[in-house]
Amino acid sequence: MMNRRLFVQGLSAATLAAKSMTSIAAMDVADPAAPAPVRLGIIGPGSRGKELIRNFLRVPGVTIVAAADVYAPRFQELNQLCGYAVASHSDYRALVDRKDLDAIVVATPLSFHAEHVIAALESGRHVYGEKTMAFTVAEVNDVVKKVDAGKQIFQVGHQYRYAPWIRSAIDYVQRGEIGDVTHIYGYWHRNNDWRRPVPDPSLERLINWRLYNEYSLGLLAELGSHHIDIANWVFGETAQAAYATGSIAVYHDGRENDDNVQAVLSYSKGRRFVFSSLTDNAEVGNQLWIYGTKGSLNLTLEDAEFFYEPKRASQLPSKPGEKVKAITAGASYRPAGEMPYRGAGKRLDIPVTEDPTTTACRAFIECIRTGQKPVADARVGMRSAVSVITANQALSARRELEVPAPI
Amino acid sequence: MPRLIQTLRAAAILAAFSLSATGSGITQEKPLALFHDVHRAMGSEFSIDLYAPNQETADRWMQLSFEEVDRIEALLSNYQPTSELSRISREAGTHPVTTDPETFDFLQTALSWSSRSDGAFDITVGPLMRAWGFFFNHGRIPTEEELLALKKQTGWSNIHLDASTRTVSFINHSSMELDPGGIGKGYAVDRVVALLRQQHVSAALISAGSSTIYAISAPPGSQGWPVNIADPAHTGRTLSTILLVDTSLSTSACTEKFFIKDGHRYCHILDPHTMHPVENMLQTTVVAPSATDSDALSTATFVMGPDASARLLQSCPQTEAVIVSGTPDSPRYRAIHWPYPLHETKKKREY
Repeated sequence: MMNRRLFVQGLSAATLAAKSMTSIAAMDVADPAAPAPVRLGIIGPGSRGKELIRNFLRVPGVTIVAAADVYAPRFQELNQLCGYAVASHSDYRALVDRKDLDAIVVATPLSFHAEHVIAALESGRHVYGEKTMAFTVAEVNDVVKKVDAGKQIFQVGHQYRYAPWIRSAIDYVQRGEIGDVTHIYGYWHRNNDWRRPVPDPSLERLINWRLYNEYSLGLLAELGSHHIDIANWVFGETAQAAYATGSIAVYHDGRENDDNVQAVLSYSKGRRFVFSSLTDNAEVGNQLWIYGTKGSLNLTLEDAEFFYEPKRASQLPSKPGEKVKAITAGASYRPAGEMPYRGAGKRLDIPVTEDPTTTACRAFIECIRTGQKPVADARVGMRSAVSVITANQALSARRELEVPAPI
Repeated sequence: MPRLIQTLRAAAILAAFSLSATGSGITQEKPLALFHDVHRAMGSEFSIDLYAPNQETADRWMQLSFEEVDRIEALLSNYQPTSELSRISREAGTHPVTTDPETFDFLQTALSWSSRSDGAFDITVGPLMRAWGFFFNHGRIPTEEELLALKKQTGWSNIHLDASTRTVSFINHSSMELDPGGIGKGYAVDRVVALLRQQHVSAALISAGSSTIYAISAPPGSQGWPVNIADPAHTGRTLSTILLVDTSLSTSACTEKFFIKDGHRYCHILDPHTMHPVENMLQTTVVAPSATDSDALSTATFVMGPDASARLLQSCPQTEAVIVSGTPDSPRYRAIHWPYPLHETKKKREY
């Protein structure tokens, strides 16, 4: 049976889909009638920031009190989203100095993550910081040290750690469902030039920050960081070395970052994570393949499917006086020659599927209320970030680089 | 074949005329060109025709618009288990579900139409749609026992909204399947319109699979966007031509989503009271200032029939409708505040 319980530290099992619907209801907040109010501030309510706020508004007892952004039109957009006026600041320091916030969400461009997260932590608030955790290894370490030095909750935006089907599938993998995992292939292919519409040319670098090296680590950070986090999770460690390559193959529009990236991360025992991101072809979409000696797991934004390698001859245990006969069990699949297998796999049956961002946001508020540590904590963020940063450096240096050991 | 034929030729000709006129040298504004783009979402093809000064601006407006449509689909789709509406469907039977203001407002609008239409409009019909096979488009006839059992899992009055906490609860303590099919496309169109107005688009026609259309202003030099209402009883014939300007038009009909069993056509629009597909209705067309409202009303009036629809629409300002009931052989046409002539086809003679 695939109905197993998953207990994860810091996250009430209620938010995990491995549980049935009734038990989720039963395990909801301690007092659903009057949950402890949580007042949020947000630094950087841009497109991702607004999506986070939308999800925080789906948690009982949460109010959005203040926002900080250098781009004024965001404030009206946020007010519309919330249905009420949110106090606005053009300087994040003024928001951090407020006395009426319990937690701060940081969703600014990557180059500012560490500065904003650390300022928010120094103010004594709990912090939800978007991934990739920080822009340089030194900044990553600074964030970790700051979190360790305090008692606040810090949760990093690796929301796939909260996806019920991913949690359940990886639990099966860790229990040996596909044997020893040797390779993970992560794809994030889109057909989209990544460029956001800009009302005025002067706003190009502000709104399209993802395309410029001053603010962004490109596709590896924006997309690869999620898959790298899943690889770290499955392999149980940080990568040891990174190699990457990239180019601008299609969008010759003045951008500084590559429009396609390929990376290989090396883990212990010869294990590898391979990452590919294209922006001119969406056939493959967003998916991961986890390859083990006994089978494969395909993970997508909605589901998890297992495939099994053809079985080998197995030896039966011998009884005294009985002849031992080797049998060959029927194969789960046996493609003709070396053709790819194109049939169905075994879909993981998950009773509850929820948008992982919704789960992650709710989990953050639950951790604030209960004091439990989040699943996606600073060290989860660190392990992904150092690989992203190193892979990006390797891309520029055109050689494999060692990933600094986590502190 | 499309139920509505958008005649843009007239608009294009007028646009070309106005463009060539500005070429004569006396021009203060940049000439606008007509751009067209399409995008699949919500099981339909959304299309936008808009006037823009150049390709780059048009692309930018189209991108913003279609991203918004995708966002609404991800919010409301009952085909996506990760949507917010699916989450509410699953959980509100066991505990009050806090939701975001947008979803809450949407549900308030849906329930308001249920109340005003005495339940003819009802977003809880999801399980009925499945029972009749419309969810997977296979078509089947459920037994009366099956339908009776589903009664406990349906009914708009089971939805309780608490505005002070922004929570949704199902007072029948059952999971329900909220199906936004009769109102969701209208809502998406309204959101696109709001976005395009913010961008100061001068004129546009937004269509959600042609079942809900909104006209922003009018094409340059014309009185409105021309829309032909098809005669559902006679393929290829136009029942009425309307010029839309700053308003929406929605249509409900049986011509595209139905199944036939034993020679009988079963329509995808269900009567929530009888739990059976609506009979003896061919098409409803409603014009109203909000696309959300015209979408819900085209659904509600299809269920209610001409007389009850006329009573309901009395209380709806700036709302007009054409209700076609009966059968293709014997259609009946009812105009409700409809400002344009109806070209009714006479009843077929029996020889």
